[in-house]
Amino acid sequence: MSQPRNVLLLIGSPRGERSNSHAIGKFLVDKLEEKGLVSEEAFVTHLVNSREGTEKLLKSVDNADIIVLATPLYVDSLPSPTIKAMELIHEHQKAMFPTKSQMLVAIINSGFPEKEQMDIALKIIRNFTQASNFKWGGGIRVGWGMALNSEPLNGKKGMTRKLTAGLSLAAVNLSEGQPMSEKAEELASTLFFPLFVAKSMSRLFGNRGWNKLAKENNANAKMYDRPYELNRRETGSESVLRGKSETQKKADLQENQENWRKI
Amino acid sequence: MKAVIFNGAKEGDLTIKAIEKTIADQLTEEKWEVEPIELRDMQIANCMGCFGCWVKTPGICVINDDGRETTRKAIQSDLMVWLTPVTFGGYSSELKKALDRIIPILLPYFQSYHGQIHHKMRYKKYPKLLVIGVQELGGDYEETFMALAGRNMLNFRPPASAASVFQRGKDPKTISAFVEEQLKKVEVIS
Repeated sequence: MSQPRNVLLLIGSPRGERSNSHAIGKFLVDKLEEKGLVSEEAFVTHLVNSREGTEKLLKSVDNADIIVLATPLYVDSLPSPTIKAMELIHEHQKAMFPTKSQMLVAIINSGFPEKEQMDIALKIIRNFTQASNFKWGGGIRVGWGMALNSEPLNGKKGMTRKLTAGLSLAAVNLSEGQPMSEKAEELASTLFFPLFVAKSMSRLFGNRGWNKLAKENNANAKMYDRPYELNRRETGSESVLRGKSETQKKADLQENQENWRKI
Repeated sequence: MKAVIFNGAKEGDLTIKAIEKTIADQLTEEKWEVEPIELRDMQIANCMGCFGCWVKTPGICVINDDGRETTRKAIQSDLMVWLTPVTFGGYSSELKKALDRIIPILLPYFQSYHGQIHHKMRYKKYPKLLVIGVQELGGDYEETFMALAGRNMLNFRPPASAASVFQRGKDPKTISAFVEEQLKKVEVIS
């Protein structure tokens, strides 16, 4: 691939500029700008549901030498608007005669600490890249996103040391028209804490965090509500046949008591 | 017993429509109540990623549109079926817009499950889950698709589940046997 000039940062998060996808993608794109590339940002959620938006999106894609798709993990894959953007871009690419080589880079982030939870989503983007005649520029998986708090990475020195080092390394490769190195991918995808610490902290501080948010919204007494629960035990042939065992009753009671203690 | 079918196909996808109809027919024969939902005809806004369904109105999405209904129907069913064209190894944007809105059926809290961090369950009972993808001729995404369905099953923990890919262009007469096999896998017909 010749020297790239234009980079498109495609944000897949519905939270737009207030998202980890934006914070991480922006850091990489800023590094590419330092190396002389010209950047553009597009937010898929705003674009994919209208004809004008779609045209704008496809025009931006056509103009780019490097596309950085930065998106969160939603239900084990990608948010619906990100998939919609991929469907639209794929259709467009299929109908086009390729005039230049374009590279696509994926950045996925998630609240879970394990980067492996993002493997399938990354594979889906990689499949899309191949099917749409883009060159694969590498993929980064950022776990434990809550620690980034959707803020610019520059201000969070210690916590994002490996991530920013990996992204900076990736920028060097990409600016030369090369896919990012495996080292850059690995470094940027490495947590700043050992995984077992991050996992314990997710359970402890993560869960406290949810309670804090709920309290701010006066919803802490309703956290365990089951608004759509049917009264299954009293209805349906299933419950008549199966009934509820004594052990199950005891387990349910214990679960309820535990839940109330936490509130 | 109730089944809800989320049809994530585009308009005019006859293969998926035929699979949907066959599922409905076979289940109705077994005295099931079946509700197919054509997602493309529903008013379902995109999930905004606001977490309101977890920390403002726990269990209910803050967006008041058809997305609330599809989620309610899903959790109140005994079998949930997801139908989708295999899209780069994943689900179509149409199916995914309903699934992104389904997360209030889980709790926000984290727990360790099968060695990884997952969300805790909100409800005591979840429907069985059957995921069927229709793959274009020449497509080679079955492995990714099956892996994705497998991960969803870790998160929604259905009491029985199955996933399968049907090749588009195959003789339509094979649909009936294909569907029967899938329904047997989730133990809803014998």
